[in-house]
Amino acid sequence: MLIHTTLALAAALPLAAALVVGLRVLVDATRPSERWVFAVVETSLVLSLVATASVAAQWAGLIGDPLRGEVSFGDWLRLGDYYIPAIALVDAAAVALGTLGAMLTLLVARFSRTYLHKEPGFVRFFTLLALFAAGVQLVAYAGALDVMFAGWELIGISSALFIGYFHERDEPIRSSLRAFTTYRLCDAGFLMAMVSVHELVGTTRLAALQDAATLPAWEVEVIAGMLLLAAMGKSAMLPFSGWLPRAMEGPTPSSALFYGGISIHMGLFLMLRVAPLLAAAPIVEYIAVAVGLTTAFYATSVARTHSDAKGALAHATLAQVGLILAEIALGFTTLATVHLTCHALLRVFQYLRAPNTIHDAHRLGHAAIVHPHPSASPTPGRLLRYGAALHRLRLEDRLDGFIAPVLRLARALDAFDRRLRGAPRAESV
Amino acid sequence: MNTLRLDGVPVTVFALSLLPLWLPVLLGEAATRGTRARVTLGVTVALVLASFAVNGPVAFGALAVGLTLQAFGAGTDSRLIRSTLLASATCTVTTALALVFAWPVIAFVASVLAVTLRVGVMPLHAGAVALGDRSPAAQTQQLGATLVLVLAHLRFTDHIGFAYDVAPMLVVLGAVATLVPGVIALVQPDLRGFYRTATAMHGGMILASLGAAGRGHEAAALMVVLTTAFAVGGLGLLIVALEARVGPVRFDRRGGRVQAFPRLAAGFALFAAAGVAMPGTSGFIADDLMLHALWGESVAATVMIILGAAALAVASLRAYSATFLGPAVASVAPDLNGRERAATTVLVVALLILGIVPGLLLTPADVFLNLSDAP
Repeated sequence: MLIHTTLALAAALPLAAALVVGLRVLVDATRPSERWVFAVVETSLVLSLVATASVAAQWAGLIGDPLRGEVSFGDWLRLGDYYIPAIALVDAAAVALGTLGAMLTLLVARFSRTYLHKEPGFVRFFTLLALFAAGVQLVAYAGALDVMFAGWELIGISSALFIGYFHERDEPIRSSLRAFTTYRLCDAGFLMAMVSVHELVGTTRLAALQDAATLPAWEVEVIAGMLLLAAMGKSAMLPFSGWLPRAMEGPTPSSALFYGGISIHMGLFLMLRVAPLLAAAPIVEYIAVAVGLTTAFYATSVARTHSDAKGALAHATLAQVGLILAEIALGFTTLATVHLTCHALLRVFQYLRAPNTIHDAHRLGHAAIVHPHPSASPTPGRLLRYGAALHRLRLEDRLDGFIAPVLRLARALDAFDRRLRGAPRAESV
Repeated sequence: MNTLRLDGVPVTVFALSLLPLWLPVLLGEAATRGTRARVTLGVTVALVLASFAVNGPVAFGALAVGLTLQAFGAGTDSRLIRSTLLASATCTVTTALALVFAWPVIAFVASVLAVTLRVGVMPLHAGAVALGDRSPAAQTQQLGATLVLVLAHLRFTDHIGFAYDVAPMLVVLGAVATLVPGVIALVQPDLRGFYRTATAMHGGMILASLGAAGRGHEAAALMVVLTTAFAVGGLGLLIVALEARVGPVRFDRRGGRVQAFPRLAAGFALFAAAGVAMPGTSGFIADDLMLHALWGESVAATVMIILGAAALAVASLRAYSATFLGPAVASVAPDLNGRERAATTVLVVALLILGIVPGLLLTPADVFLNLSDAP
């Protein structure tokens, strides 16, 4: 009974905080004070952390017998044979992500109270933070793909809105749209995988994914491939890395939490969760290793040429994320879990420290560190690599090249539709 | 013999239909409120009969009266709009007659056509789109009546072999009608264009879900139409409120209105998010149910609907950004007033309740609709 209560509270409390603040903004004619908003959100995050710590203690056997495996809350919805299971899965990976997520979110909330004091978007920031915290707990403890997808989407929406936080400038809004577009396109993979697993296996329970491995080989490969697509979008793997440096337009605390700590690792967590399926899909495994290592090489190269602190940090993060994906695909799941946890902790610290590092460099007059070039005349190959890294392989241009025909098609369809309805032609924007 | 009976599911659906039906009246201008209220009262009486009727001819007959009243009370002199709404009403008359003469196939086809015309499924969307252009509030009202129309369809015309046989075709047609407006939404130059394509896209989803309902997925269809009525209807009401304050909204530069209208912006974001399946809202459950229902009929259609919904999600964020974000613009007009805030909150709460505890309505609805008699 205790495990049910604590698991439910871990996700429900931040969600309730987001709803309370959001509905008050909607209903109340006066703007809520910073103090009230922070008190509501912080209380929910503290209690959520206590709940996750309690879950971890129960998992470790510190409270009663060790508790591992599925915890059922019944069905979220049941219609005849069809059901969405409200089920949690408590294991090492879930406890690691759940506790880490609750802890880092609370830490970032405390940090942000001062950082964002008197910012016009203070209320928005903390509402989104609570929504994000609920999403992380849902993903961490989800025992079924449907529940995981709900949390996954909450993280995606809050991430996109955080990137566009400083919306007075045009660039953050464009970056937010780019990130959201990537998320939604890649999430189509998650949705398709979820529906196909339900239809082919009969349930979306993660514990039943072993059964999926008994499906025909090509079906397993396709499902695993779709899940890998979703993971690649969320974790900014090649070729979807373009949105990550642009995501640095958001406030530093949210960058730390999302692109240093939690959100960037969500794709990896998904891969950890579906590891049995991945193990039965050798082609997708090879692709995942290749994607992970290529991303690591690419991100390392770019990080070395990047001229701004957060951008360089983002690519340094991405390099490690690529390596962790390769570890998972190679079957080193325990190593990957440890690597992921330690990496998240380090990066959150580095991101939160980034503004001070820049400040110190400017104010304290640190001497520029000049690395002597190893050769007086760089080789053409070295120059080529340098140029490619500097321009980030022109990835965004290439991806825009894929999107341009879609927009042309949309305009043609719009023109046809207007002609059909006898409406005037649209002036393009 | 009783003609009316109070069952839990029709009572709930009727009560929910009152929200999009009456909220526009309460928010309308005082000068036209009286006339609009009288028409809506007539429509409401017709919907009571349609909801609680125990046989199809009475239900569709009452709907025909209500829909005709709506056609004349839509507050527009557009011939296209009026003829579309009247065509939809004529289809319901046809359905009623076909049920009397025991022609179930004709009843099914006419009923689907009636829904299709009202929700604006491409390429039959000209009338519904024009109504959305002229008066989003009237559009919201007619979505409320559509809820009861779909309930009647699911109860009285859907349980036949023909519905089972044509399900894959309807699903594919619905999927195409979802994907095309979803893609078009990406390039709309103004807020009305976005609303127009969002309405048409949801119309496609409703058609696909009606197809799937032919194979026993009635609850999915009900949830899809409920989400459309509340999310698209809510968007319509807020667009009216915004345009009353700032005039037509174009996307050629950022609007910067979030500082002046924070509540309007929050309501817009919530309705738009619910329309593209944000978790916690009924849109998430509707999408989940529908995709599972469609997969069995056509994998390609499922993929098309997923992509259409993804495109509309991007278009929604683009519309929100262009309308509300950007350098702050001062406004002498106030944010949402008390009545507008109450209406928005009611619709948002309904979307949340149906999203968080969907079983409250869907579990009994599934049993009720599957037990409904064949004509």
